[in-house]
Amino acid sequence: MTLTTLEPPKPAPAPEPAQQASATHKRRRTLPSALGEPMVWLTGGALITCLVMIILLFSMVIINGTRTFWPRPIDRLELASGETLLGIETQHESATETTEARTLYRIGNRDIGQASFRWINDSDISSKTQPDDAVMLEREAWGVWFGVPQQIIRVDGEDDGVEVVAQGSEAYFESFDELHAQARADKVQIDRMKKHDLGRINAEMERARLQLRQAEIEVARDDSELFRFSPVGWGAFAVLAVVCVASLVKFRHLGTEMGSPVARQGKLIRAVSLIVLLATGVALWVGAPWAESSITEADITQMRERLVQREAELQQRYDEILAQVREIESEDSRLRVSVVEPNTDRFAPTSQTLADQRLHMSQIVRQVRPNTMGLTEKIGVYFSRWWEFLSTFPREANTEGGVYPVIIGTVLLTLLLTMVVTPMGVIAALYLREYAKQGIITSMIRIAVNNLAGVPSIVYGVFGLGFFCYTVGAYVDVGPSETTRMGVSTWWLMLVVSAMLVIAGVATRLWSKPDPGKLPSTMNVMLQRFSWVVWAVSVVCVVMLIAGTPYFNGLFEARSSNGTPTFGARGLLWASLTLALLTLPVVIVATEEAIAAVPNSMREGSYGCGASKWQTMRRIVLPGALPGILTGAILAMARGAGEVAPLMLVGAVKLNQDLPIDGEAPYLHADRSFMHLGFHIYDLGFQSPDSQAARPLVWTTTLLFLSIVFALNLLAIVLRAKVRSRMAGPTV
Amino acid sequence: MTTMDTSPKNNGSEASGKARAVAYEPKGEAAVADYRVIDAIRRGEIPAPTLHGAVEAPDAVIDIQKFNLWYNQDAKALHDVAMKVPRGAVTALIGPSGCGKSTLLRSINRMNDLIDGVRVEGEITLNRSPIYAPSVDVIELRKRLGMVFQKPNPFPMSIFENVVYPLRIDGERRKSVLEEACEKSLRAAAIWDEVKDRLKSSALGLSGGQQQRLCIARAIVADPEVLLLDEPCSALDPVATLKIEELINEISERYTVLIVTHNMQQAARVSDYTAFMYLGRLVEYGPTAAIFQKPKLIETEHYVSGRFG
Repeated sequence: MTLTTLEPPKPAPAPEPAQQASATHKRRRTLPSALGEPMVWLTGGALITCLVMIILLFSMVIINGTRTFWPRPIDRLELASGETLLGIETQHESATETTEARTLYRIGNRDIGQASFRWINDSDISSKTQPDDAVMLEREAWGVWFGVPQQIIRVDGEDDGVEVVAQGSEAYFESFDELHAQARADKVQIDRMKKHDLGRINAEMERARLQLRQAEIEVARDDSELFRFSPVGWGAFAVLAVVCVASLVKFRHLGTEMGSPVARQGKLIRAVSLIVLLATGVALWVGAPWAESSITEADITQMRERLVQREAELQQRYDEILAQVREIESEDSRLRVSVVEPNTDRFAPTSQTLADQRLHMSQIVRQVRPNTMGLTEKIGVYFSRWWEFLSTFPREANTEGGVYPVIIGTVLLTLLLTMVVTPMGVIAALYLREYAKQGIITSMIRIAVNNLAGVPSIVYGVFGLGFFCYTVGAYVDVGPSETTRMGVSTWWLMLVVSAMLVIAGVATRLWSKPDPGKLPSTMNVMLQRFSWVVWAVSVVCVVMLIAGTPYFNGLFEARSSNGTPTFGARGLLWASLTLALLTLPVVIVATEEAIAAVPNSMREGSYGCGASKWQTMRRIVLPGALPGILTGAILAMARGAGEVAPLMLVGAVKLNQDLPIDGEAPYLHADRSFMHLGFHIYDLGFQSPDSQAARPLVWTTTLLFLSIVFALNLLAIVLRAKVRSRMAGPTV
Repeated sequence: MTTMDTSPKNNGSEASGKARAVAYEPKGEAAVADYRVIDAIRRGEIPAPTLHGAVEAPDAVIDIQKFNLWYNQDAKALHDVAMKVPRGAVTALIGPSGCGKSTLLRSINRMNDLIDGVRVEGEITLNRSPIYAPSVDVIELRKRLGMVFQKPNPFPMSIFENVVYPLRIDGERRKSVLEEACEKSLRAAAIWDEVKDRLKSSALGLSGGQQQRLCIARAIVADPEVLLLDEPCSALDPVATLKIEELINEISERYTVLIVTHNMQQAARVSDYTAFMYLGRLVEYGPTAAIFQKPKLIETEHYVSGRFG
């Protein structure tokens, strides 16, 4: 009986209020608004809108970017005014109230004073045909030429004898391909000789001259006695050294017996004495008043003689190669083509100034005869243009030719910035998450780091230019400036002080640790704060020591003495450092999250095995966080690759003939300026002298840029997937 | 009859109202039992533990002397715990949740150092050397002990690397030494036959029971002075549990084992000595047989028979 009375309370007490409520409150039918159906439509619609925008963006870039290189037919237009033009239709506008229907034709032939694009009213065109023998010549200079080929000639000597190689357009087309291939092959060889062989000789000469200059500078400097201490300063250091020795001797037994209360003091005194003694010892040796220069005038004379000899040798080789180049060039320049435009019957000239000379065969990059081409031939031209685009340097103020240096610049920049930002961010995040005591300060640092991500990117550009290029770069070039350079004795004194500060920092940090199982005492806390101050001061000291050292005169002193900065100007290294700074928050945040996601049980397991904090971090935490860290690196890479604004300030240029990477030591020339796809797009679109010609290239370059960023990301994602699968292992 | 009527109701309200650790539900005749020691503890007193003769002066590996621990200023988790862990035997720590048995275990390899604001008083010695002395290097201390945790925690690396991890962090590079130690340890942990063909594959691919045995192999690879097991079977199924228990029996021939367990049967099966703790105090400590068959305290008897706790 009692049991039955006990049974009802079994259900949990929670439902009771609900049951009570149902007695007074009559449940309504669910309203449509409660179902949230409009919300579903709204959110779905928003998502669709986003997707449509993205698809639109990509399809626009892809469609416009891919059709640039497709060969289109050449029209022959006879106008009412009597003009006859050859051109390619690029754009059509229907009639409006104020204008007639008109078409934009690319008519090229700039060197005879024609605008390369021209709007022609449809009503002005009296006839329009597509002649079979019309060709478009893509030339090294002056843009494209539209015309009808007539002959190929070989000129002997100075235009005296002329031998006709092919007469008439049929013969022309028959012999063109073979002759042109030969001419281009020669051209490639000439380019290589000019750039490679002659460039190397030039570089070597420059190096030899700089060596001599460097030696001269060093001799001149040593005379100024900058490195020697004054006798008083030297004496003071000698006294300091004696004091150190004395203190070492006097306190050699202090606190060495077991359980001595002054054990720490003894250790500290001995450490300080020893380090100060070492520092002063080196100072006394280096700054001794009788120290002598290692280079003498006699050495210089010898070097100068050697240089003259070497220069003569190099000059001879230079002349030899140049003679070869000239020979091939003159041989090549004999082969000329006569391609006549119909309006004034003028042939394509060698250049605007040499209007009476026919175009050299070797000046033609490609001849396209679209009106007779079949599909396969068109595809052939299409891909050959793509290859040219990807593998050659730009011509004609970037409106023609390729973007090879631009691709190289972009990829190098992105890789460099990733290589810099990833370790920097990981180390920072590691400290922030694993070592730093979580509190107000770490939270504030986190907020600051996140805010850093929101700083406009141009601000980083300004900072990069001011700090990296003009401050750090100048330091790398010529060492500390006259205002920051310290005197020798001041510098050594400061070194000794900094060494003591560092010891004090380490000592107070160690002593600030509470005894095992005890809470930190007031003393511990005070010491800890003190150690922070000491650390801050010693960091400042070390920076000052580096910034003011009298012993560093820059790595490129000789070059700078000629007025050419090396690292003290805009360049690849500074650009990647600037972008690294810009993308640092991304890596820090991602790494922190990844580190936090490593389960604590792993850390405990490692500590339980007797691992130290660092070992745990290196062997357990970091490998575990690696996929997350790589995600951060990928994000940083994507962000950095797309930045343009700061690059305009710190190193991207319109045209750069010297790639930042080449076969000359040291292979990666991080001091050089570079071309960047983002900047290139801007340059093509808005800075081009022939914006009509450049417009299709804007799309193509954008497509390329997208693909490169996509490829870099894909690479990193594949890498991450590999790491992940290696970490997790197959769950068998 | 009246007590029977009211007790379930009281029990319900009390359990939800008070901390889990404090809840104890008298059942049947237990309701009328006289819980003198437990009541004293619940009043905040620290009664002297009831020790059986066998554990009063053994050859102690670990000697815990009047050990107190606070998690924060006022959250005291251990009260004057004093016990000697005999050498070469398995000692089990039992007690209801929150009684401080895990805390005590983790005090022995100073895992509690990792938690901010932990303060201790008293001393623990490991083979006569104090472990809370200022001169003790906590990393060196942990190298003398092996620990296995509640949830299997193999590292995300190969089985081989998992086992030799303690040697690796000591800087051991010789392949022959590592391989020998690995095999010896895996054999001792009774998992060699199962994994010998896939030492290079990830340890995360093993089953839970295998993972835990792997963790035991990792804990004993560097020949620890004591093996600390923190509820090693609580995340495992009965079959895996049985295997681990057999393994503990085998291992105990070579190592001193201190095991925290929730499972009374397990304590009875694997241990030589058992300590019963309640609310941070040691209540009764003696040979397992005595604790389970003729304990001195009624509380212990009721706890081990599942009538309280």
